[in-house]
Parts: sequence; structure tokens; C-alpha cells
Amino acid sequence: MNCKELSYMLADYFDGSMDPQLQQELDGHLAHCEQCLVFTKTYQAVSDKARRLRQQIEYEIPPDVRDRLETFVRAAALKYPEKLDEYREQVERERREMVAGLVKAAVAGKLSPVTALLLETHWNACPECKEYFDGLLKAPDHGSGDPPDLIHSHVIRLMQSLPPGEEFFLA
Amino acid sequence: MSAERWKEDEALLESLRKGSPGAVDELLRQYQGKIFNLAMSILKNESDAEEAAQDVFMTVIRKADTFQGNSAFYSWMYRICVNTCLMRLRGKRRNETVSLEEFMPVFTDEGMHASPMDDWSKEVERNALNEELGRMIRMYTEELSEKYRVVFVLSDVEGLSNEETAKILGLTVPAVKSRLHRARLYLREQLSRYLREGKAG
Repeated sequence: MNCKELSYMLADYFDGSMDPQLQQELDGHLAHCEQCLVFTKTYQAVSDKARRLRQQIEYEIPPDVRDRLETFVRAAALKYPEKLDEYREQVERERREMVAGLVKAAVAGKLSPVTALLLETHWNACPECKEYFDGLLKAPDHGSGDPPDLIHSHVIRLMQSLPPGEEFFLA
Repeated sequence: MSAERWKEDEALLESLRKGSPGAVDELLRQYQGKIFNLAMSILKNESDAEEAAQDVFMTVIRKADTFQGNSAFYSWMYRICVNTCLMRLRGKRRNETVSLEEFMPVFTDEGMHASPMDDWSKEVERNALNEELGRMIRMYTEELSEKYRVVFVLSDVEGLSNEETAKILGLTVPAVKSRLHRARLYLREQLSRYLREGKAG
């Protein structure tokens, strides 16, 4: 193992997921290479320091921000019982819109690469979804947008596995 | 994640759904600090973080009833928080982010370190440097592009495992590791340069 190879493996080294034999090689290199020893120590110091910083500043919300936030959350929670139905409908509507959007984008061939890959992978495991989307692709005008419950729930799960902030369609 | 914490979260969600008066206190006690801090780490701005935190709690309350429980509650909340913050960032001018390549370690053709190495790992323990280093880490973290910053914040700053971070961000564990590694390499290099220049000056 040389210095360059060692530097590639440091993340594994510190989270303990390293192959034992490689780790032995790495330790062997560290024992005689001053530069790598320093490199490794300073690499680790970055995460240590970041973590300790976080612990030091934990819960250090400015008092006025804390007050406003608490008031806001309490007011929202107080209205919860009377708003429950409205919230359910909202969530339901948002989900339907999301699913309709995804179906539309899929039919138009405008899915983001990640979403397209996820969807194709899902089709391999789910004949129902495959059949539904195949049908739409052949005849795009027929009943797109509001798929049956099973398809709907699969599409929702698929969207929930997208990274946060990632759009499912191409810009 | 411990089974106990998971059970606590389940119970909290259940009492939120029932509208128990203690539920909100518990939610605030457990998550107010965490959510605000996470939002601050991503948005780097107090009033943005405050608004984001409000949005996060509102979303949690709105969706408490329909939350499907196929992930742990805390992981769901973190995801909502990251999502909310990223949406906010998107609306703003995109941050000028640095090219990481410039700050990766340099090796000779034989694979040996090409530049001299200072050991400042002990210096980070010194109290005198504490505040200054903290400021530097925050500043350099801010320069990272979102994709590296969010992983670094969840894994190293918040102390989540790679598996937890991967789950929250919908990434694979290897992708989390690789981003985390590059973020650390970048910060290591920046801090080295900063401390070296500090000494020289």
C-alpha cells in the first residue's frame, strides 16, 4: 500500500468497515510513514472537531427564536383536532398530484435519470406496475394521471426513496 | 438507532395523533434544538433557519396522521428538514462553490505525498484556538456544495451513522462514504493551509 492508496481508504478505516487484512497493511504503512501518520491524524481531527463543535453549540437557540418557534408549534398543534380532516385531504391531494405528475412525466419520457432508473428497476419486480405503465405508453390518452391504489402506493414509495430536494422530472 | 429511542418516537407520534397536551412539549423538547441546529448547518442564516424550522414542524404536524412509519420518526423528521432547507436554497442564488479538486491531497508518481505535512491535530485541543477553529470549520463547510455539505453535516456534525445518513438522503452507503471522505479531505486541506499561514504570519 502506498500513501495515495492509504488516503483512499481512510473513511473505511475510521468507520471500522475495513477488511482486516487491508487494515493490517494500512497500520503497517502508518508505522513507518510519518507523512501519512500526520495526514491521518489531521483527517480524523476534522470529524472530531466538527462533532465536538456540534455538542458545544447544541440547543443554543436564541431565546427569541425559541419563543417564536414554541408559540408557532403550540398554536399549530392546538388546531390539530379540528384541522385533521383538512390535513388528511391536503396530504391525499399532494400525493395524487405527485403521482399524476410522475405518471405524466414517465409517459412523456421526461423523468430524471435517477427516477427513470428507480422506476425501471421497480418494473422488473412488479408486473402490475409494468403492465399499467406499458398500457399508458401504448395509449397515452387513456386514463392517465390517477392510477389504481396499488400502483399509486408503489409510485408514492418510489418517490419517497428519492433523495431530498431531488426533482423526479427533467427541468 | 437504539430500540428505546425508536419506541419513544413511536409513542410520541401516537400521542401527537391523539392530540395529547403533553405531545407538543415532548416534540419541542426532543427536536426543537436538533432541527434548528440542522437547519442552521445547512442554511447558515438564523432567520432562514427559523422559518425552515417552522415549516418542518408544520409539515410534521400536518403529516403526523398519514406518516406511514416505514422509517423511524427521527429519520423522517431529519428528511423533512433537509428537504425544506434544500428547497429554500434552491430559491436563492446558487452559492458559488469551490472546486474540491484543488484541495485534494497531491501525490507523486510513486504514490507518495508530494507536499509537506504539518501535524495540527493536537492544536485543535487548545482552548485558545477553539473559537477560531470552530469559525473556520463552519466557514469552510459553507463553501462545500450542497451534496457534500449535507452529508458532512449529518454524518460528522450530527454524528449519525453512514447507514442512517444514507437512509435520510436516499443515497447508497458507498455514495455517503465517498462524499463524506471528500468533504473531510477538503476541510483537512483548508484547515492545514489556514493554520500554516497563521503560523507564518
